[in-house]
Amino acid sequence: MHRLRVVSGHLSPQNRLGPYSHAQIARSECSASLPVAADDIVVVHGLRTAIGKAKRGSFKDTTPDELLSAVMSAVLRDVGLSPDKLGDVCVGNVLQPGAGALMVRVAQFLRVESMSLRSVGNPGDVSSRLMDNAKARDCLIPMGITSENVAERFGISREKQDAFALSSQQKASKAQERGVFQQEITPLTTRFVDEDGKERTIVVSKDDGIRPGTTVEGLAKLKPAFKPDGSTTAGNSSQVSDGAAAVLLGRRSMVEALNLPVMGVLRACAVVGVPPDLMGIGPAYAIPAALRKSGLSVADVDVFEINEAFASQAAYCVEKLGIPMEKVNPNGGAIALGHPLGCTGARQVVTLLNELKRRGKRAYGVVSMCIGTGMGAAAVFEYPGN
Amino acid sequence: MKTFRCPSRHGYAAEISPFLPSRLACAASQHYGIAGCGTLLVLDQDEGGIKLIRSFDWNDGLFDVTWSENNEHVLVTGAGDGSVQVWDTANPRGPLQVLKEHTQEWDLERPQSLCTFRGHEGVVYSTVWSPHVTSCFASASGDGTLRVWDVKMGVSRLVIPAHNAEILSCDWCKYDQNVLVTGAVDCGLRVWDLRSTRQPVAELLGHSYAIRRLKFSPFHRTLLASCSYDFTVRIWDFSRPEPLLETLEHHTEFVCGLDFNLHIPNQVVDCAWDETVKVYIPASLADLQPCAD
Repeated sequence: MHRLRVVSGHLSPQNRLGPYSHAQIARSECSASLPVAADDIVVVHGLRTAIGKAKRGSFKDTTPDELLSAVMSAVLRDVGLSPDKLGDVCVGNVLQPGAGALMVRVAQFLRVESMSLRSVGNPGDVSSRLMDNAKARDCLIPMGITSENVAERFGISREKQDAFALSSQQKASKAQERGVFQQEITPLTTRFVDEDGKERTIVVSKDDGIRPGTTVEGLAKLKPAFKPDGSTTAGNSSQVSDGAAAVLLGRRSMVEALNLPVMGVLRACAVVGVPPDLMGIGPAYAIPAALRKSGLSVADVDVFEINEAFASQAAYCVEKLGIPMEKVNPNGGAIALGHPLGCTGARQVVTLLNELKRRGKRAYGVVSMCIGTGMGAAAVFEYPGN
Repeated sequence: MKTFRCPSRHGYAAEISPFLPSRLACAASQHYGIAGCGTLLVLDQDEGGIKLIRSFDWNDGLFDVTWSENNEHVLVTGAGDGSVQVWDTANPRGPLQVLKEHTQEWDLERPQSLCTFRGHEGVVYSTVWSPHVTSCFASASGDGTLRVWDVKMGVSRLVIPAHNAEILSCDWCKYDQNVLVTGAVDCGLRVWDLRSTRQPVAELLGHSYAIRRLKFSPFHRTLLASCSYDFTVRIWDFSRPEPLLETLEHHTEFVCGLDFNLHIPNQVVDCAWDETVKVYIPASLADLQPCAD
């Protein structure tokens, strides 16, 4: 116990008397989970396509099933797993009609979006009684207006939003330059129809939404996009985009039995409800819920992938939770990369685990996003270390 | 970077042989040194990695190691039971000699050695001979003072209240006989000039937990390395306004051991409680030319 007291004395900064002080040492519950359990949910592998600008970018003429099948097959090919070994497929999608019904039976969490081919304006069949309930009605509020609501309610100024957006662009463009995304993007060969109607074949392997030349002055010139005297612009909002991502999950015992690698461990997830008119605050409530479930604190987590639906809500959540900015979206976020709606969650998991893998040591990461109609979701992942 | 894994042994000290640039030793302990036994690892590095040449066990933890400077086979370790062992790498059977006078690892007792130096009022964590003046050595203590001693006198020549916290390590500058550095539990490093000890020449901040060990570079006047409980090794040049050159975060536990290679410029060895010993050349040093001094 004497040696323990000495080392403990080194770790407590006020202690100048060393081992002769009366610092008490007591056992406390270890908040990190047991490193390995057979029923852990582990991430085997994940990949994404590049993200293209909707309507004008790389995937404007690509149907979502092409995006999906490319990324799904690439994940399975990389780990050498045949599709017949897979138990369940869950496809996330927001805008496709009958979203998700077609692609079952191949992998676990797959996400895909084509915002080029579908538009946001059509909510589909909803009851007319929807309009009688205030909160239900609020679910129809356009996302940009919810961003203005958050900016106004919580005092996130235009300048702060633009600064956040600039930071996202800079981080993403440095990451792209350094080749950081090469590890996680699976190239896709697809058709592209150019301005004179000529169709050609292109290989898409880079995100086309990143703007390396972004400046504060340039962002300041943009007009508000959703409301005449608002602060949310096209420059400080996520881009409308096309893309797909796939993450392969499994129970550890099965993953080991199949001799598959473990890239990460899902430690906890949480979904919370928030007012629909302020949907952007979702992460500020979902992250603490997920951290509580995993027994961790903000200080224990090295990287947070917090979706940048809008700079207003992302900046608000980071500030409210006191997360040091250097831990947030180190390789940029949706403002620079783009936000294919149903794809982003899986995209964030892929980007997060690849970043932790680059850093090498055992660490925790969090993925979080706000959800239109008033929800927040967050998950805690553990990277086991090289 | 080359890594050696020593399962169930947590490294407390590492030193590269002054005779053979590819030879290194690591003093490691079971159960993080809190209980159990210790192992002295004698390792060899080549382009492929690091391999074990010989290991020696002791029935208490081993907390420090140093190579003899007059015999390439001999090394000395300090153990948790207060004893000092002299080992020969050519002799696998056990220590050549065991010297026991300290009653526990952090106490001084009756003089049966050549000399006992009294003065510190706390644990003495580190002592280092001056590379310039043969009879001189420095010591770092839990009482917050750095003391400089002369073997011919029984008392300290100089007492510097260097930190308001326990000082865990100190080292001499290899190019200036008056310059020393101390590293303490207050997370700071201070560079001292013995000619004017009222205040440090430089204060190097950056570590977020106590500094465990420091070494001045054998190749550069103002370059030094530190390792800490914050899992990092940092490289500093105290002559610059922004002294922190590099932070290396390749360990997942307290980093306790650190040494520079005397023959291979800028090569560093470190060891940590994460059961690894690593040998590498930090990027910030790789481009520097050795000092012409």
